[in-house]
Amino acid sequence: MWITSKIKQILMVMKPGIVTLDYPRQPAPAPTTFRGQPVWDHHKCLGCGGCANHCPARCILTRDVCQELRVMLYDGSRCTYCGRCADVCPEDAITMSNNFQTACDDKNDITTRLELFMLTCQRCGRCYEMEKTNVIDRMELRGFRYDNLERRALIRRTTDTFSPETLAATEQYQRPSR
Amino acid sequence: MRKELEAQFAVQLHDAVVCVEKTDQRTIFIDVKREAIRRAARIVTDAGGRYMCGVGYDNIARDGTLGMVHTFSMDQNDYFICIRTKVSAIDPVMESITPDLPSAGWSEREFMDMLGMQFTNHPKPKRLVLADDWPAGIYPLRKEVPYDLVPPGAEDVAYQLDEAPPGTRVVPIGPFHPSLHEPEHFAVYVDGETIKGCDYRGFMTHRGIEKLCQTQVSYNEVPFIAERICGICGSVHATAFSQAVESAGGIKIPRRAEYIRTLMLEIERIHSHLLWLGVAGHLIGFDTVFMQAWRVREQLMWLCERLTGNRKTYGMVLIGGVRRDITSAIADDIRAVVKKIEEELRVIHRAIEKDSSIHKRTKGVGTITKEEAIAWGLIGPVARARGVDVDARRDHPYAAYNDMKFDVPVLTDCDVWSTLVVRVLETYEAIRIIHQVLDKMPSGEIFVELKDKIPALRHAITTVEAPRGESTHYVITGEDNRPDRWRVRAPTYTNLQAVPLMLLNEQFGDFPIIMGSIDPCFSCTDRVAVIDLQSGKARSMTRRELEFLSREQLHRP
Ligand code: SF4
Ligand code: SF4
Repeated sequence: MWITSKIKQILMVMKPGIVTLDYPRQPAPAPTTFRGQPVWDHHKCLGCGGCANHCPARCILTRDVCQELRVMLYDGSRCTYCGRCADVCPEDAITMSNNFQTACDDKNDITTRLELFMLTCQRCGRCYEMEKTNVIDRMELRGFRYDNLERRALIRRTTDTFSPETLAATEQYQRPSR
Repeated sequence: MRKELEAQFAVQLHDAVVCVEKTDQRTIFIDVKREAIRRAARIVTDAGGRYMCGVGYDNIARDGTLGMVHTFSMDQNDYFICIRTKVSAIDPVMESITPDLPSAGWSEREFMDMLGMQFTNHPKPKRLVLADDWPAGIYPLRKEVPYDLVPPGAEDVAYQLDEAPPGTRVVPIGPFHPSLHEPEHFAVYVDGETIKGCDYRGFMTHRGIEKLCQTQVSYNEVPFIAERICGICGSVHATAFSQAVESAGGIKIPRRAEYIRTLMLEIERIHSHLLWLGVAGHLIGFDTVFMQAWRVREQLMWLCERLTGNRKTYGMVLIGGVRRDITSAIADDIRAVVKKIEEELRVIHRAIEKDSSIHKRTKGVGTITKEEAIAWGLIGPVARARGVDVDARRDHPYAAYNDMKFDVPVLTDCDVWSTLVVRVLETYEAIRIIHQVLDKMPSGEIFVELKDKIPALRHAITTVEAPRGESTHYVITGEDNRPDRWRVRAPTYTNLQAVPLMLLNEQFGDFPIIMGSIDPCFSCTDRVAVIDLQSGKARSMTRRELEFLSREQLHRP
């Protein structure tokens, strides 16, 4: 029986032949439904912070530099392309692109930074209407946010009014180390 | 069945039973006083319960206690029995149930490490999860320990391996080794070429996911993190977690969503079994099978990319339903792809089923008897290849499995070859299920909005049949929009405990394929076991000796 098995195995290998792609010379485009790197449209974003609250990888950071200026930072080096941010955005400001070739030697090449001028009423979180019936997804961090952008750390502390002290304190934030 | 069990408890334990509570159709919680835990476990085992896992949790802030739950499955009657007890945090001692139930060994050791519980008469009270240089007295799963604590490391602390049986040499395998795809350390005791015992130290990829999800994220982010517990059976963990929360919160999800979950779970089973088939071929040095099985599998990965947006970590499951719908165009696509896979898999199957060179490497290798498999609580294809007929899809139907018709292949040869055949047959069954899902799928919503808060401190348990066996998730809901406790027990956690038994008296050269036959997934399991099979004279290895041995191993041709 050994020899018949071997013949069958040869046929099994011969029939498909070579199937590997000559990548990258031969391009391998992703399908249209692919979830690649998220792309922000700064015209649409109103800075509600919903994407930052729901990113499972915690790679969207929000920092209020002053009363009027909010910085949103997307750190692509930790993004898992789950598409949750695009799901929750009330303004459809985020699209999941087809880009998956994101290897680069500088982290800043895959980082997106938005600086948004805010009207005070817009930061209350109430604009975040898409899931207002969904208690499980209710917004947990409202008000002014002070994530540390340099260390790429989400700080789970917010205030109702802008607080320069908290801003200064979180600027000094250090990750725990040995 | 439930009445009988309650009567048994009343007769044998009298007032040690605090209360009996039935939360849903299939889950029964029995609270007992801590003195009675071992007797309670024995009553459930005698009634036909199969041990699943232990769950420890910190309740110190509420009543100063640590809780311990031993969970059992009644496969014949579709019941989960959870025996709960609590001990005060000042004196967290209870009796071990491991002398009666060997498969409880790891669960108890895990909570010695993580919560500081103590179990009297535990046969092997060694460290399981924590690193060797983790300071004593810090129990990471207690609420007062921050999730990002990084204690200083220590030099020159090493795990004390088990005593080697007399007349044997130790061959270390790992932490990094070509036949293991993830870091873990085996010390194999050999007499010549014959394996006489084995000690295991793993949990080197412990990532603290449970702690993270209990402290940092909210309910609907956990499925995405759960999916990353395992690179192969991601949907399984996401589905199991979501089902547990839905069951605790009394959320009913649309039927269509349940069908789509079923579809994703079966697609995952096909890809996992084909992956395993390839790896098994590779481990016995037959790379043709490896190449062909993975070539066939690749079409499925592309299909998933079109279907969900990603090859793996599909991100389909949320609490309350699924994220993407299956249109009729994509349904035709799925049908075409699985049909092609079935044809090509049959070609591979025919080409290898009579190959005597594969038989020589796998038949009669890694044999354990059905009785041993039951005693160790084996699950999944590993158990089904040893004549144990368990399958959570049939025994505890979830998602849309109660509408599906499928067979559960069970073989009785008890060796590695039969695990191979079981997996191939299961792949055909999975394809059958996929066709049924697509034919019967009802129309309607795929997601249900959650109107109410999920009530706090509800307990729920679910199992999902992963490609490797059942995955058990236990959730205690919390107040802050996140679980208070979430315990994951991956199938390898159970199956790995019986590997030393499978290895006993086998040839050393068969180690990779025996190990591979359980389809181990260490990052899911990540915990540690040491099982002594023979007691011998004491002999401990110094680090230097170990290093020397590993170098020696390295330079051997
Ligand atoms: S795709 Fe997922 S991980 Fe990436 S930024 Fe969006 S939510 Fe975060
Ligand atoms: S959810 Fe949308 S609108 Fe809100 S901050 Fe994010 S991108 Fe901007």
